[in-house]
Amino acid sequence: MGGDYTVVGSRARRLDGPEKVTGKAVYLDDMQFKGMLHGAILQSPHAHARIKSIDTSAAEALPGVKAVLTAGNVPDTKYGVSPARYDENILAIDRVRYVGDEVAAVAAVDLETAHQALELIKVEYEPLPFVLDIDQATAEGAPQLHQEYLGNLTAEVHQEFGEVARGFAESDLIRTDTFVNKRQDGGFIEPPRSVAVHDLSGNLTLYSSTQVPHYVQRTIAMLTGLSVGKVRVVKPYVGGGFGPKASASPCDILSSLLSMKTGRPVKIAMSREQVFLHCRARHQFKHVMKTGYTKDGIIKALEHTCYLEGGAYSSFGIATVYYAGSLLAAPYRLPHMKYDGYRVYTNKPACGAQRGHGGVAARACFEQQMDLVAEELGMDPIELRLKNIMETGDVSCNDLSMSSLGMKECLEAVQGGSDWNAKKGKLPPGKGIGMAAGFFVSGAGYPIYRSETFHCTVTIKVQEDGGTVLVKTAAAEIGQGSDTTMAMIAAEAIGIPLEAVRLVSGDTDYGIDLGAYSSRTTLMTGHATREAGEQVKEMILTALAGELGVERERLDIKDGVVEIKGEAVDFGPLRTKYLKEHRGWGGMPSGDKLTFTEAARMAYLKLGTIVGTGKYKPPVLGGKFKGAAVGTSPAYGCSAQVAEVTVDLETGQVTVDNITDAHDCGQAINLTSVEAQMEGSVSMGLGEAMFEEVKFDDQGRVLNPSLGEYHIPTVLDMPRMRCIVVESGEPNGPFGAKEVGEGAIMPTIPAILNAVHDATGVTITELPITPERVLMALKQKKRDE
Amino acid sequence: MLLPRFSYHQPASVAEALEVLGQHGDQAAIIAGGTDLLVNMKHGKLAPRHLVGLEGIDGLEEIGADNGSLVVGPRLTASALAASGELSGAAQALALGAASLGSPQVRNRATVGGNVCTARPAADMCVPLLVLGAKALLAGPDGPRELPLDEFFLGPGQTAKKPGELLTGLSLPRPAEGSGAGYEKLGLRKALEIALVNVAAAIWLEPDGKTIKQAKVALGAVAPVPMLSPGAEAALTGQTAGEEAFAQAAEAAATDAKPISDHRGSAQYRREVVQVLTRRALGQAWQAALGQ
Amino acid sequence: MDKMRIVLTVNGQDHELLAAPNRTLAQTLREDLELTGTKQGCEVGDCGSCTVLMDGEPVNSCLVLAVQASGKAITTIEGVAEGNQLHPVQDAMVEHGAVQCGFCTPGMVLSAVSLLDKVPDPGDGEIRQALSGNLCRCTGYQKIVEAVQDAASKMERS
Repeated sequence: MGGDYTVVGSRARRLDGPEKVTGKAVYLDDMQFKGMLHGAILQSPHAHARIKSIDTSAAEALPGVKAVLTAGNVPDTKYGVSPARYDENILAIDRVRYVGDEVAAVAAVDLETAHQALELIKVEYEPLPFVLDIDQATAEGAPQLHQEYLGNLTAEVHQEFGEVARGFAESDLIRTDTFVNKRQDGGFIEPPRSVAVHDLSGNLTLYSSTQVPHYVQRTIAMLTGLSVGKVRVVKPYVGGGFGPKASASPCDILSSLLSMKTGRPVKIAMSREQVFLHCRARHQFKHVMKTGYTKDGIIKALEHTCYLEGGAYSSFGIATVYYAGSLLAAPYRLPHMKYDGYRVYTNKPACGAQRGHGGVAARACFEQQMDLVAEELGMDPIELRLKNIMETGDVSCNDLSMSSLGMKECLEAVQGGSDWNAKKGKLPPGKGIGMAAGFFVSGAGYPIYRSETFHCTVTIKVQEDGGTVLVKTAAAEIGQGSDTTMAMIAAEAIGIPLEAVRLVSGDTDYGIDLGAYSSRTTLMTGHATREAGEQVKEMILTALAGELGVERERLDIKDGVVEIKGEAVDFGPLRTKYLKEHRGWGGMPSGDKLTFTEAARMAYLKLGTIVGTGKYKPPVLGGKFKGAAVGTSPAYGCSAQVAEVTVDLETGQVTVDNITDAHDCGQAINLTSVEAQMEGSVSMGLGEAMFEEVKFDDQGRVLNPSLGEYHIPTVLDMPRMRCIVVESGEPNGPFGAKEVGEGAIMPTIPAILNAVHDATGVTITELPITPERVLMALKQKKRDE
Repeated sequence: MLLPRFSYHQPASVAEALEVLGQHGDQAAIIAGGTDLLVNMKHGKLAPRHLVGLEGIDGLEEIGADNGSLVVGPRLTASALAASGELSGAAQALALGAASLGSPQVRNRATVGGNVCTARPAADMCVPLLVLGAKALLAGPDGPRELPLDEFFLGPGQTAKKPGELLTGLSLPRPAEGSGAGYEKLGLRKALEIALVNVAAAIWLEPDGKTIKQAKVALGAVAPVPMLSPGAEAALTGQTAGEEAFAQAAEAAATDAKPISDHRGSAQYRREVVQVLTRRALGQAWQAALGQ
Repeated sequence: MDKMRIVLTVNGQDHELLAAPNRTLAQTLREDLELTGTKQGCEVGDCGSCTVLMDGEPVNSCLVLAVQASGKAITTIEGVAEGNQLHPVQDAMVEHGAVQCGFCTPGMVLSAVSLLDKVPDPGDGEIRQALSGNLCRCTGYQKIVEAVQDAASKMERS
């Protein structure tokens, strides 16, 4: 539980706040480079076609065009996210596999010329038969996307934990339910953009609006042939990521190659339409869950099948298909679980990771079914959940270890916070209340490529004059607030106020950091920051102990002041020395306490520049079975939500009136940012529940590639949210902290679905919950009665 | 995203505008707020070589009176119309429709003339204008002409306006005592949304405050053009205002609607919703007519 | 396509420019005047990140031609703070944690400032209406609405 902290747990103003509210914050598109060229990418108009020929001569001849790339003059190295499925080419070789597949790229003196050049590239296609959904892709004789992965299967998973047959034999109530979500888009407001600068020394600096500078650095090095050390990736402020920016983009790769070819900075920016064509966002999942319960409501067994419609390339797909199964093993005690998962290629843009990676639709299906079970058993949904929840110390059937889990506290918090007992079952027709729970990892237990690498390293340098420290981390601030969180952790670890911390981040030159994904930064980079901070403090205090001639154990630093236990110590000579160095200055230390500034200055004079380093990688986690790594984490956050809705029984339109949300983040570092992540998660979950769906025509073209026709929630669509922060104190987290950024999305969709059921009696098993879908279900229910 | 190249003309009078339009024929496009035209140009769907801006022409941005009618200037923005005090009674329909268009930023630029000339089947200002019996006032090389709006809309994005013509106003009957309007829109989101179905209704009551002297219902997104429902009108005229009459009119409107199924919604659902929204819009109009 | 002479009054300062007719106001502000606080998220009027005030009213600067803005008073995000003194709306946005990725923030601030200029004491509904053309994917809007309410009450008091 909340420790005795000075900075941690407060409501700090974000370090980046003032720059962002004044428009001074620099994003990729705001950067200027002398002699910069503009790149553009030619994309396939066909869902599947053979490239018979490409003629770039007219484009090359256009004045102002500096380079044209096709598969013929770029490396044929395959790449992707997971090394086990490198299935992408830099530019299409012989074949395009979706509308939007990259075919050629140009760099020109301005964007207008670059676009003209694209129009001059003549590509002769021979259209091929294509598959747009799971049924088509898995049918016998279906056109195949990749010869290496036949059956159009990116990956399949078959796992059984415990003895499922026994579990069902012990069950009194067995239900089978299905659930389908829709392909989602990241909906970040800043489209991906990059500028690559290849210099005369052969170094490549890539500025990119990415979530993962480290992985981008590796991919670029692999594809360009440059050594990793010569590739530097710099992330300016980034306008949101949510998963789809968690791998190297065509902008990153092609701007790098174009800059190497032209010797000039090259910028490539995606249009909003291209964001939809590139996708890499949430898959479409089809879940079938057969679950057994005893008549007392104890879960006995789950048999689960899931199909993922994945698009033309793997992206994160292998991890996604594993997550879709493994993240059901908690937060309820589930002794027997069988999972069969299939990730299917289709001739559509590739899906990847998005907030709540792999687990969101699965969670919705499971939690919706749980409410239906509660109804059949005549049990309150919260009571049913309380009977089954895991507690701190529990380990799931697939070896996920709950080192802290405030699930019970979350359930009770939303029960009280929403006035559940007064509302459940007591609302008039058209009004409903529903709840759900969920959990998520605090950082993936393993990196995306197999490696014993540290997941992050952090350096803290004490400024030589002593007053401030500089934290250097390669972590990726993409809006979630990691810069401020790391500065707060550094301040707490050293014992200084937040104002004494400066921080730079998001640059591969600052160290290793796997980036902003899997809700890893607070726990992992937080550990490394804390370690670096404690090292700095130790160095300063050891030097100080020597100087003052006292035992090190008697010294501590708190809130910028040195605390000396026991009898008084004369630090007069030390202060005199400091004051002499600053003759004529204002604001000098005074009073009866030695300041951190004086101590740090003294330590520098003794030792030279004081630098602390921190590092983190999780211990060996998880079981030994195939896929055991996916779902492992040093810690798990969990949450519960209650949704209240109004359903217009004549049109079917659902309005979410209220959300009560409780999340166990272990220990809030910045309380305001914890709530902000909870609220943001709810809004993304609400969007997926209510509106969001990337739609395609029968030729595989996106029908709604705009923020006008792809509907993310506006301020008028968001209900009032009441956020309750639960702090269970995570032993594996820095100062007890764990995730909040993704676990908080887990209950949103099922809570809304369960509220709609409460309001209407209908069960919606396909997202989004459009008015039409609800009205048709209401009519069907009437016919059935 | 880049706009294609074009020349920009700023005529100072309607006559000058007609001259420019005449010179360039179908190479010219008229721009007011640009919230639709510029989007289409950025997407490469339109590439006029000449844009004719109307900001230099006086008198296109006001609501004027002409005998028994109101003349709404085509350059009035949705924001201006939504806040206009002159659109009372049945004419309030236009203000209601204008208020539900797009977003504040879009409403500050989008004009009623643009909304009419763009002629989208779900256009938030066109559907209300139909129930008001609005006429398009056109200036052209052959002199001015007037065209009832239900004859003006020919298809999605297509109107009876000829390339050399300019919409100079929309004429509506003056707001009458005992009249009121309603507007209902169903979309997924509550802002930045094109209607899945939208319905405007206007009611003119007899002095007894009960009998419907006249009523009109217009439907959006259920036909290639915004459309009037003659069935609803027939079901209401001369009837006593109230739930029964409105329900019958709603049924007639659903029959009149000619929706198709597309990725945004099925024909069947749209027809169902027409009925619900018509009933609600009429209820709203009635309350407004009663001054409540 | 002849360039045209235009005068933009931006944040109180007149700029005489030669603008190609197909330049948008957003491009002109960002590229010619280097006022890059105005963001572009969709370029077709769907997201509101390029919101600026034109004669006090919020507009999507991606859908205004520079030539159409000639003679108008434009306020961009750079014109909201006075030196390093944040506007109450800006200060409240920082204080309430209403800023995450920050990409929608400049447009959001301008919509809010425009509202408070006209309605000093807006209710929750009015605030939400005024911000309904500014999409934010990070915050769920709650802290933004709270910040605007707080700014309004502080401005009322001062």
